[in-house]
Amino acid sequence: MQSLKSLIAGLALAVAAALPGHADPIVVSSKIDTEGNLLGNIILQVLQSHDLPVTNKVSLGATPILRKAIAGGEIDIYPEYTGNAGFFFNRADDPVWKDAAKGYDTAKKLDYDANKIVWLAPAPANNTWAIALLDSVASANKLKSLDDFGKWVSSGGKVKLAGSSEFVNSAAALPAFQKAYGFTLKPDQLLVLSGGDTSATIKAAAEQTDGVNAAMVYGTDGAIGAAGLVVLEDDKAVQPVYAPAPIVRESVLKAHPEIADALKPVFSSLDLKTLQTLNGRIQVNGESAKDVAADYLKSKGLVKK
Amino acid sequence: MTLLGEAFPSRGSASAAEFVGQRVDKLGVVLAALAAVGLLFQPFATLKANRIVSGKALGVFDALPGAIAAPLVALILAAVLLALLRTRPTMRLAVGASALVGVLVVIGFVPAHLVSLDNPLARVAPASGFWILVFAFTILITDPIAKLNLGPSARVAALAAAAMIVGGILMSGLWSGLSVMKEYATHADSFWQDGARHVELSLSSLALAVLVGLPLGIACQRAPTLRDLALPVLSIIQTIPSIAMFGLMMAPLGLLAARFPLLGQFGIRGIGAAPAMIALFLYSLLPVVANVVVGLQQISAGVVEAARGMGMTERQRLLRVELPLAAPFVLTGVRVVLVQNIGLVTVAALIGGGGFGEFVFQGLGQSATDLVLLGAVPTIALAFVAAILMDALVEFIAGRRR
Repeated sequence: MQSLKSLIAGLALAVAAALPGHADPIVVSSKIDTEGNLLGNIILQVLQSHDLPVTNKVSLGATPILRKAIAGGEIDIYPEYTGNAGFFFNRADDPVWKDAAKGYDTAKKLDYDANKIVWLAPAPANNTWAIALLDSVASANKLKSLDDFGKWVSSGGKVKLAGSSEFVNSAAALPAFQKAYGFTLKPDQLLVLSGGDTSATIKAAAEQTDGVNAAMVYGTDGAIGAAGLVVLEDDKAVQPVYAPAPIVRESVLKAHPEIADALKPVFSSLDLKTLQTLNGRIQVNGESAKDVAADYLKSKGLVKK
Repeated sequence: MTLLGEAFPSRGSASAAEFVGQRVDKLGVVLAALAAVGLLFQPFATLKANRIVSGKALGVFDALPGAIAAPLVALILAAVLLALLRTRPTMRLAVGASALVGVLVVIGFVPAHLVSLDNPLARVAPASGFWILVFAFTILITDPIAKLNLGPSARVAALAAAAMIVGGILMSGLWSGLSVMKEYATHADSFWQDGARHVELSLSSLALAVLVGLPLGIACQRAPTLRDLALPVLSIIQTIPSIAMFGLMMAPLGLLAARFPLLGQFGIRGIGAAPAMIALFLYSLLPVVANVVVGLQQISAGVVEAARGMGMTERQRLLRVELPLAAPFVLTGVRVVLVQNIGLVTVAALIGGGGFGEFVFQGLGQSATDLVLLGAVPTIALAFVAAILMDALVEFIAGRRR
């Protein structure tokens, strides 16, 4: 038995030694989606250009994995959306998230108090839930805003919307739109895609799968234009603001305070149009996120080298 | 004599049905039907306006210039006719191989025919007809290989030849216009890194499972109580869905790393390779332990008795008699684990473990089928190669003992 114990102990050590070690570098991470890939690479390259030691953990997994990882100190910095803080702290119904500045301040305070995580300056973009319609349908019926859309649907406009189950069911999403703009989509006017990815909903609308002609999208989606869709304006500001901001563990920021100033000009340059274009280059053109990030930073003179 | 006469009537009275029975290869009929469906009723390639929309399906003559399409169709027809007739296995092997290589080479000419240089966004991908043809001719190759009853080394040589042909086409750049290869071009730097990680995770968890599973299996065979306890537990572990298992590993490992920073330094953390490896290790235990137990149990009591009679100690009996006799079973378990792990590693990408799953999940997120394929096809190829190599190894060891 003793020998078995020492064998196991030895094995554990051998395994530990075989796995990649981790020392001082700043662990840069991001979600596994298109924009996560882009913003993760941007943060990584900016920090590198400031000669900071980094470890690349970009496109690590879904949001819950990232939250667990940063709370456990396994990653140090990743881009998160202000509106998501509402879900992290069970305050999704709070109207504060619908205001860009107040939402950011609230997210910053809550996450710092609870987890000692610092929210750095956000990008002036809003990657929030929106409804996009086939261009042909929108122009034929002169629909520009969700207000037009609501009236059109209520008066019998033929619409079928593809969305994730979260979008269809979460009180802040489709139900909020329906309430504010006075329309109701019946179950047969919805195509619920459980995976919940906007590229799937956009594809469904672009190809009119099952008669779908409208799709749940995020504001900065790169595929909207290429798929022949137009985003309907949320003129009553129903949706919470989802502005991407780098969030970093306080201890890491204290060790490398220059991170904040390095990322600030970069994120403030990332407006909605820019993010749409950059995301589109990755998603539609198939360029690598790393190259798109490098190309953008270089063209804007945002990296030193 | 009369019996034989009844079974094989004289040639003079041979009917059409008997001709079919004697001259036509049954598998050949199936393959011919498959190839006909693939060639006539299914698209050979698809053309997409960009990476994420669905494509336009094109038949052979739409996808290729006539000067290439016509010879391809002729080659396929000739191969199908020869496959229909009963011929020697070597002949069928040669026919299947040349038709397969023909189809594989010709698909490389499709992009240049369909896409002009001023349209860099358009994507050309092989479609269902192509895959059906590849499948049909692969069967036409593997069937005679099975009939020829090749030894392990000949099978490995055949695998090497196939790898060289595919590798040659890849290196030649013939396929570089195809959509999957365009994905490869953008992800080339991380492709080999993730590939190495994939193999590393599959093999290291297997090694750990053998190191733990072998003694555990021996102990289980000696002590029925332990066996009745261990095997059900391992079976239950086997039923935990892989995504859940990888998720379950995160919390305890994360706590451990937070509590003992030294472990974190060694990479024992809630995300990354460590939880993936431990999950794979747990999945691997059942096949290894179960096969060790079965391997030891099938040894006849007489053999063990004889060894005891020769004055061997328990340790000598185990090492010189029982384990060598159980080896083919143990190796079969190892083969199962290896192929299973190569598939399961894909899910590790969801917890930052890396591997080809990285492309699968990124591709799913972007609705980019080509990127999904860039992760899926190498995974399947790896599992296929591992299975052939392990089979050959098992047979080689079993054969040498006989």
